[in-house]
Amino acid sequence: MVMKNAKNVHFWQVDHKIKNIFEAKGIIILPSSEAWRRYNWVKSYFKRKPKEGYFIWVKKQVDFPLLTCITIASPKVSQDLTNLLVIEKNIKTKANVVCNAEKNNLCASHKAQGKFILKDGVLLEYNHFHKWGKKDFVSPDYEFILGENSHLLYTYKNLFPPQSLELKTAIYSGRNSSSNLNLTINGLNSKIKLKEKLFLEREKAQGIIRLRLVGRKNSQIVARSSVIATAASKGHLDCQGLLIDKNSKISLIPELICQNKKAQITHEASIGKISEEQLNYLRMRGLTEEEAINLIVAGFLKI
Amino acid sequence: MKRLLEIKNLTVEANSEEILKGISLEIMSGQVQALLGPNGSGKSCLAQTILGNPKYKVTQGEILFEGKPRSRTSSLRGMDIAKFSPEKRVKLGIALAWQSPPTIKGVKLSQLLTKISTFRGSTFPNLEVEPQFLEREINLDFSGGEKKISELLQILALKPKFAIFDEIDSGLDIKKLEEVSKIIKKEFLNKNVSILLITHWGQIFDYLKPDLVNVMLDGKIICKEKDFKKVLKVIKKYGYEKCKKCPFLAG
Repeated sequence: MVMKNAKNVHFWQVDHKIKNIFEAKGIIILPSSEAWRRYNWVKSYFKRKPKEGYFIWVKKQVDFPLLTCITIASPKVSQDLTNLLVIEKNIKTKANVVCNAEKNNLCASHKAQGKFILKDGVLLEYNHFHKWGKKDFVSPDYEFILGENSHLLYTYKNLFPPQSLELKTAIYSGRNSSSNLNLTINGLNSKIKLKEKLFLEREKAQGIIRLRLVGRKNSQIVARSSVIATAASKGHLDCQGLLIDKNSKISLIPELICQNKKAQITHEASIGKISEEQLNYLRMRGLTEEEAINLIVAGFLKI
Repeated sequence: MKRLLEIKNLTVEANSEEILKGISLEIMSGQVQALLGPNGSGKSCLAQTILGNPKYKVTQGEILFEGKPRSRTSSLRGMDIAKFSPEKRVKLGIALAWQSPPTIKGVKLSQLLTKISTFRGSTFPNLEVEPQFLEREINLDFSGGEKKISELLQILALKPKFAIFDEIDSGLDIKKLEEVSKIIKKEFLNKNVSILLITHWGQIFDYLKPDLVNVMLDGKIICKEKDFKKVLKVIKKYGYEKCKKCPFLAG
């Protein structure tokens, strides 16, 4: 994954160095440490003074997607990012976010704490792509705070996992807001721990968490997904795993907590395997066993 | 006519149970043959074995395909493909339209057709189907007729020399049967592709007129007859039970 046109990337960091900040009308983009100094109000969103990472403040409607890229290019780099995205009322926007390692053997670490503030009436489509080397350690911890009538469509895809991935995602839903969280992860020689929490704390809030997890060679995946409803709201968990390798393991742990009798929360969870019938069918169409598995996995992950 | 496929004394088992008990079959280039038999007689097992489904173990016999003489004087003998992988057999030019194909979720029919049409230098199959149909997930919520069209499209994309249609006529109404038969005639028969039609009711014979009908019972081919009308007449009148008692049993 190479940024072909880096000038158009709104925030691009390689290792610890900011390569590019591209500000456009209506958007303020700063290193998060600079935002900490400049705006007092942002301090309430950070637990501590940020070392690195971005601050993006979308103040006006823009007609292009936000692009950010955080790259690891050198061996044994240890990134510790604090990111904040604030979107003002009634703005509809899209963000394409890439976090990656340039090489497969950098033994690096990428830690990120992110807060995403969607004020009232905001619509955010957030597409998050990860591509890591096989010896990397990655631990993002993201919080989405949704205002009234705001809508979040969050898609996370990780088809090239690191050695260890600990991904935490929490969504705090505002009144009449909706959130749609889709996580697609291809486990391959990796240890993956997922923790999603969807808080439905305001009336008429709605949310869905959808997981599609594939356990390929030597992967251990544990996904703890919770929906916690304390208001009259609706939530659904849809967790599906596909186990391919005999040395892999997928654990799905869905949790529903309901503290309001008008809330409706549901879940479905399943772990399956590729059937011999599907495999033979595709092989009788001329695909090798490996090609057939790849096609079935791609279909499962819808990639 | 050149011999394309030759099956010699084939014995096959699955789950330690013998299913095919010494099958012999020869199919010439451009020939249409039929395999007729009741449910559970081993017809689909034979088709799947020809294609190399690992579920079926060949315990005896040979499957020879497309022979080339080793020298000017030697006779034409095909290569034994009994140990070949399914994909290798497909790439040699053998294809099977499944009776009950499985669903492949999330994979569009067009995706698969695009991929497989490259294997034998074919192009994306040119059949009159709704474009939306090609964008559907393979066999997901397909009607019986749609499954057959999907199978036909895939077989077409593989550009085979020898195609097996396993109960392509089952679950079709008379109009759909006519449509499917016309496609097989135009796209395969007229292009000299050898065909094995597997069926248990034989109505498709009126459209495709097989050169030879093989009747299969309990894992054995018990009758080979050129006159398909005669075979159908007997079976329709007396059922397959009569075949068991027939004094002209093959072999």
